[in-house]
Amino acid sequence: MAPAIELRSVFKDYGRVRALRGIDLTIESGQIFGFLGPNGAGKTTTIRILLDLIRPTSGTASVLGLDSQRESVEVRRRCGYLPGDLRMYEGMRGSAFLDLIDSFRPQKRDPQYRRELLERLELDPSMPIRALSKGNKQKMGLVQALMHRPDVLILDEPTSGLDPLVQQEVAKLLEEAVAGGRTVFFSSHVLPEVERLSHAVAIIREGTIAAVEDIARLKSRAVHVLEITFAEPPPTGLFALPGVRELHRDGNTVHIQALDGLDAAIKVIAAYHIVDLRTEQPSLEDFFLAHYSASAEEKDRDALPAERR
Amino acid sequence: MRYRLNVVEKSLRDQKWQIVGFGIAFLAMSALIVYIWPSYRTTVASIQLPEAVQALLGSDLAYSTAAGFVSAEYFSWIPILLIVYTVIQGTGAIAGEEGSGTIDLLMSQPLTRSGMVVQKTVAVCIGSALIAGFGFLGFLLSIPFVDIEITLKGAALACANMLPMALLYYAVSLWFGSVLPNRAYASGGAIALATAGYFFNTIASAVSSLSWFKYGSPFYYYGAGLPMVKGIDWSHVLLLLGVAALFVGLTVRSFARRDITIGGASNLRLRDMLGRVLG
Repeated sequence: MAPAIELRSVFKDYGRVRALRGIDLTIESGQIFGFLGPNGAGKTTTIRILLDLIRPTSGTASVLGLDSQRESVEVRRRCGYLPGDLRMYEGMRGSAFLDLIDSFRPQKRDPQYRRELLERLELDPSMPIRALSKGNKQKMGLVQALMHRPDVLILDEPTSGLDPLVQQEVAKLLEEAVAGGRTVFFSSHVLPEVERLSHAVAIIREGTIAAVEDIARLKSRAVHVLEITFAEPPPTGLFALPGVRELHRDGNTVHIQALDGLDAAIKVIAAYHIVDLRTEQPSLEDFFLAHYSASAEEKDRDALPAERR
Repeated sequence: MRYRLNVVEKSLRDQKWQIVGFGIAFLAMSALIVYIWPSYRTTVASIQLPEAVQALLGSDLAYSTAAGFVSAEYFSWIPILLIVYTVIQGTGAIAGEEGSGTIDLLMSQPLTRSGMVVQKTVAVCIGSALIAGFGFLGFLLSIPFVDIEITLKGAALACANMLPMALLYYAVSLWFGSVLPNRAYASGGAIALATAGYFFNTIASAVSSLSWFKYGSPFYYYGAGLPMVKGIDWSHVLLLLGVAALFVGLTVRSFARRDITIGGASNLRLRDMLGRVLG
């Protein structure tokens, strides 16, 4: 079976700016796949190429084995899409807007599922779109993407603007879609969200795929940032342990980052008098620095001799 | 079949109040001009307009005749209103949707780009015909009740004759909106061309040494109220519609080849604009 999504050496230039620098990515069907990266990394550009809203400078993109450019109508027929910058026809009522979207795919109408989505997301379709709050607009965007039960859901920042309870409901809806054999590809710049929702994740940075990871594996490699306050200034070099990095110290307080060396770090500090111990949620940047800056440097080093040849 | 015309339906729904608004203006003006004719008949009977003034009236129908009067007071200028409508729609079709950002959701539906352009064009053809039809309704509600030497058939032909020129300006503004995805720039370009067309025709008629100018003006091929007297000049109609079709074709080609933008393009320099327009 063809993969749900396949991108091969996709480059995209906007004038002199190179937005994508050779994206290679294969996503098999039947999973929730997160697309994680900081703002401006190329997530939206990649997504819009899949739907033929923009054209790659070079490389190919396909959805369910269909070429995104040559078979774009069929690709879009089989996809549900939530734009990252969601703009709807403000003057229309929600129900009229959903009818309009429905009218593009009459063969796939499922009014009962549409009603169920509206109820579960607590969205009133009789309101004009311009009167909806940002969160409710996002819900409307999700309903229009989901309501035909498309084979592939392509969602650009789906939980943006939603409160935590609604985010949970959205997570359930996506899980149900996948249980029904569909594929969800969604972007986010928030690591915990990707961890919570998806089975696998691709990390995009500066227009290239920095890594593709299984979430279970990613969790086992979680980054821990600890802030430890000692009663006495601790000896220097205390944290010269494998898998541990001392970030900085400020008097008796030391900040360390532990990858797979958490256990060793805890055992070392157990011998000292500890006044306070805090753990911090690692930011996406910490995560990247911890996992990928080293490997990127290695790659650059490896690449040099090849170029010289 | 119905779903294949959903963009036509949506566009017409969006335009309904515009169509009604323009339509009422057309209806009121056409009826008014016919109803005032009897009181002007004797006043204008003796008027011999100088050639230069006659030229401003858009056709060589004598002002002292009913057809010349209706042509000068209605058919010479009312198409400018119709052009305002078609330019609004033409710049809205692509540049407007890109500017408001709604195009991303629209074009993520199973719809080809050419299909989108063609459907929006069909909607504008229907909308323009309805507005011109309102104008005819004004004649229908006046000519039978007034002593005037114009037939309903002649009025109907002259009303229908407005459509090719209005659609030409629609197509030009559509194309501008595709190559300069910014509604303000596209409207500016289209309105400038419409204004130039109007004045070229007028100046060409008034200044004999510049008479060849008129061949560059759609208003010359339109001919104001002439169809009331001479019937429709099909060669002119075909020429106007041919140029309109050419610009719709150019739009389809340029829109199909380029990236869809969100928010359109802004702060384009004149050089960039000319570059885009000249391809």
